[in-house]
Amino acid sequence: MVKKQKVQFRIQRFNPDIDDEPTYVTFEVPYSDRQGVLDALHYIFQNLDSTLAYRWNCRTGQCGSCAININGIPGLACRTVVDPLQKYILEPLSNFPIIRDLVVDLGPGFRRLEKLRPYLERTSAPDRPEKLTREEISAAMELRSCIECFSCYAACPAVASAKQEFSGPIAMRELASFEFDPRDQGDRVQLAVTSGLYDCTSCGMCKEVCIPKHIDTRRTAIEGLRALAVEREMGPLEGHQGFIKQIESTGYAVDVKSPPLTDQLPDVIEVDDPVDEVLFYPGCLINLRIQQVGLNVVEVLKRNKVRVHIPKDFVCCTSVAFRTGARSIASEMVIRNTDYFRKLGVNKVVGLCPGCMSTIKQDWPIVLHEKDKPPYDFEPFDINEYLVDQLGFERFNKQDLKPLPIRVVYHDPCHLNRHQGISEEPRKLLRLIPEIDFIDVEDSDRCCGAGGGVRAGRRELSQEIAGIKYDILSEVKPDVIATSCSFCFIQLVDVVKSSNSNIKVMNITDLLAASYRGESLK
Amino acid sequence: MTFEIIDTDVLIVGAGGAGCRAAIASSETNLDITVITKDILGKAHTVMAEGGINAALANLDPDDLCEIHGRDTCSAGAFLNNQNLVEILVEDAPKRVYDLENFGAIFSRTPDGLIMQRPFGHQTYRRTCYAGDRTGHEVLSTLTEELRKREINIIDEVFATSLLTNKNRVVGVSVVDIRTGNFKVFRAPAVIMAAGGAGRIYDVTTNAQADVGSGYAMAYKAGVELIDMEQFQFHPTGAAIPPAARGRLVTEGVRGEGGILLNKDGERFMKRYNPRSMELAGRDEVARSIATEIREGRGTKNEAVYLDVSFLPTKIIEERLPTMLEDFLDIGIDIRNEPMEVTPTAHHVMGGIKIDALTATNLPGLYAAGEVAGGVHGGNRLGGNALAAGQVFGEIAGSSAAKYASTARSPSLDRKAINEEYERVMDSLNRENGLSPIKELKQLQRVMWDRAGLFRNEQDLNAALRFINGHQKQVTSQLAVQNKATRYNTEWINALELLDMLLVAEMFVRSALLRKESRGAHYRTDYPSLDNKNWFTNIVVSKQNGKMLLQTTPVVVTKWHPPWA
Ligand SMILES: Cc1cc2nc3c(=O)[nH]c(=O)nc-3n(C[C@H](O)[C@H](O)[C@H](O)COP(=O)(O)OP(=O)(O)OC[C@H]3O[C@@H](n4cnc5c(N)ncnc54)[C@H](O)[C@@H]3O)c2cc1C
Ligand code: SF4
Ligand code: SF4
Ligand code: FES
Repeated sequence: MVKKQKVQFRIQRFNPDIDDEPTYVTFEVPYSDRQGVLDALHYIFQNLDSTLAYRWNCRTGQCGSCAININGIPGLACRTVVDPLQKYILEPLSNFPIIRDLVVDLGPGFRRLEKLRPYLERTSAPDRPEKLTREEISAAMELRSCIECFSCYAACPAVASAKQEFSGPIAMRELASFEFDPRDQGDRVQLAVTSGLYDCTSCGMCKEVCIPKHIDTRRTAIEGLRALAVEREMGPLEGHQGFIKQIESTGYAVDVKSPPLTDQLPDVIEVDDPVDEVLFYPGCLINLRIQQVGLNVVEVLKRNKVRVHIPKDFVCCTSVAFRTGARSIASEMVIRNTDYFRKLGVNKVVGLCPGCMSTIKQDWPIVLHEKDKPPYDFEPFDINEYLVDQLGFERFNKQDLKPLPIRVVYHDPCHLNRHQGISEEPRKLLRLIPEIDFIDVEDSDRCCGAGGGVRAGRRELSQEIAGIKYDILSEVKPDVIATSCSFCFIQLVDVVKSSNSNIKVMNITDLLAASYRGESLK
Repeated sequence: MTFEIIDTDVLIVGAGGAGCRAAIASSETNLDITVITKDILGKAHTVMAEGGINAALANLDPDDLCEIHGRDTCSAGAFLNNQNLVEILVEDAPKRVYDLENFGAIFSRTPDGLIMQRPFGHQTYRRTCYAGDRTGHEVLSTLTEELRKREINIIDEVFATSLLTNKNRVVGVSVVDIRTGNFKVFRAPAVIMAAGGAGRIYDVTTNAQADVGSGYAMAYKAGVELIDMEQFQFHPTGAAIPPAARGRLVTEGVRGEGGILLNKDGERFMKRYNPRSMELAGRDEVARSIATEIREGRGTKNEAVYLDVSFLPTKIIEERLPTMLEDFLDIGIDIRNEPMEVTPTAHHVMGGIKIDALTATNLPGLYAAGEVAGGVHGGNRLGGNALAAGQVFGEIAGSSAAKYASTARSPSLDRKAINEEYERVMDSLNRENGLSPIKELKQLQRVMWDRAGLFRNEQDLNAALRFINGHQKQVTSQLAVQNKATRYNTEWINALELLDMLLVAEMFVRSALLRKESRGAHYRTDYPSLDNKNWFTNIVVSKQNGKMLLQTTPVVVTKWHPPWA
């Protein structure tokens, strides 16, 4: 007889009545076709250990009872299919007190919801039947589909660090569901601002874990409410005002302290026998603060025989304006940029900063549509995506890469990984470098706390989140923390500095350029 | 023995659509209202209802009337319905749907901006109001919001073990607080039972895990009458895998869009049962055909048949069955390329606690609403009528109970009875060695599925009854819970549920044995046709002198006369 395949489940156990602290117990569960994590829990409870406590009810992803941490990420036990080749660690949801084993007390989460007047507010009942158009209700309907599983709340890095100050994504979703309900007369925006509307780093974790309903809380609820906050002069925060003013007066989010990158380079960087032609969009930080990062991008492109246009008159992508709700300045800049690029006549725009690139990919088209402008006629690419998928991994110039015998750990920028779905490409490029010792850590995709205007607006919170990230990355004792984002880059440089560490922070293209140049980084 | 006593004016057992609606109605007074639920507010079985809620609003079909809704309801119910209740249902349903809108619900809209209504099986007009494919969720989350607004006291994860009575009136409910394991007593002059259905009596069910039927059992133990307990609805198509979700509803829409049923040999077997209508034959007929294939060995290894849409254009599947596509994708099955495996599945209890027009029972102070109450649906339930009944009778129960509580004498507890109840509750936890509740529970579900399910006959039903009675004796004296920690002890709660389930199973089986005909959802292979002469009557179950007594009682007919009368 064929031996039945078994899957290992390591489960956190804790009974506060008798245990001092949680322990882990491993169970082996026979695998069956299309088995779910809930099936495995049932198997354990029914056959191996009836003291195991876990919660479930509908078993079909409709009630939100069964959310637990599955290999570190919140998810529904009933909707997670077991992969027989994997091992599983099951833990209770974070950010909640434990009742027993995998069962948490959702009370604190519910109580925070209850404080937000989470019900329709109107002064008098309307005549029946009441007419509501499909368009009017569509946003509220999407937000109302939440099953209160609290996965997003448990996964949110801002909730973990801001604690009492931030009511979390589920609460923002709740407030937005009423704000966007044409019938509601309550002021939800004020309440959102005092409940931590500006604590969100835009990391996108809340959407990623909302397997049950695919609710994009960051975009629909938080950025929607932030736009209203700005309209009603309750936002953005003081720390953001500077950026917005700066954009208004100069077109850039930061002021000029040293010669801009665009001044250091010609209009076009020629190469022999070019294989392709792109425009390099540096974004404000690379253009005005970390110019060397931009020079390295250009070098990598040059080494790969790509002819590069340098846009002398580009302006800010206004990611910061979109993220904090300052929509009007955003529209102006988008139109300026797209008109200018059309004049330059390029087909491909490549950038390193994922904040810029995801804004170009996801927000610009909406603005152009709103303003009755034609869609832009170029294709935007993240630099890693461009090198691996567009230029082609096969064609990539590997022969000139020289050994870099250093230990590197990678940090996934949220705007690259979750917002553009790019996580393999940077890793592929890293692994190309001869003799590099690349370590992939489990929480590589945890937010660094820089995004969403939090670095500028909520400095302390931002640093706290960065500190957690630094601990995760530095644990493997790397020489270099690699990333691919100008914003994560400066955030990580700061946290490394404040930790008195000599770990270097570099972008993927910085490492590639160093390898091409044969530099020693030790 | 000491135990905590919590006083309240109106106690509501269950926080599904019915219980929550009742709480809102009760809270219109200045009484103290408490809702207890064994799950968590907002997570009751009601969230799973997808299809919709019936109300003759006539938004799409101007000819629809409450009258016609009533006729459809009675004709689906094989005229076993209590027409007093049906009249109330159809007349109040539109008001209750508007209440939901007032509380904040958003229903899907017609192009003119009115509440959208879909056609549902066996209804003359498009009458079923819906919110996308998550109507029950919209209903329950709206009620949850209204409960939060009214700051109604809700206690989550509390398991009600028995109704407490004293001198022929209800005086409260005994409970186990699941989170601590503490035994407590809620003392109240008025109690509303809204504990939902009992699908989990069967091995394969669409129901949530909470639906074990404790409401029926508590009522029975307290001497309350129950009606139509032989009428249990099976749905033809439930998903066969994964095991934990066995029985989960696969909508009729799949067959509506052209899905075909195949046995393990790839034969389109419906041609042997109903060559004209094939897969679109009536619910009961399709369910029995599938069950026959499985019984006779032509099912898949998962005890199922195939339901296939993979031959349809991908676009049709993506556009018309998006939820099904996604649900199956989530469990690793791409219905664009491979068939689903489906099995008939236990769906809905039509019978239940016998109520009058005020939802009062024969026990003073006890009211009932929702799936736990019987009489409205008769022999079969129209899709969309359960949510409607929960709202309509929940509202009535809430106001009736509040009215009763405001004039009732304050309740006094029968300490001796409570001591006995405490002993009963603790029994399996205190025993060192004995029968495992988990194993016993599974056996019961299997026996009920095999012997008292879709097909019934004297022999099988008698066998089921012997099993039940035998186990009732054993289980009450030999059940032993291995898990001894009282905090969140699921095994212990399972043991208490098992005792309830055995009682409910006995009511199902005894009623089914008595009805020697086939009517509504009750199908006897040994009496396969309708027998209006002898069986146009309701069956009422109650406890008399410690024994289960069955009686027949005339059907209440007001305006919708059966074709044979
Ligand atoms: C998959 C599916 C789809 C359906 N679709 C529709 C539809 O489209 N339209 C329609 O009209 N109907 C539909 N129904 C039927 C309908 O959903 C139910 O009949 C209805 O929701 C029952 O509501 P309820 O309030 O009576 O009970 P439930 O929602 O079942 O709530 C029961 C409550 O009682 C509590 N409870 C139970 N026992 C105890 C105890 N011992 N102690 C404390 N608390 C207890 C539970 O915790 C829960 O809070 C569907 C049913 C299923 C299974
Ligand atoms: S985007 Fe990230 S920080 Fe913002 S609410 Fe969602 S999970 Fe929290
Ligand atoms: S928004 Fe999504 S993840 Fe968050 S609680 Fe609701 S259903 Fe769960
Ligand atoms: S059990 Fe309801 S969502 Fe998993």
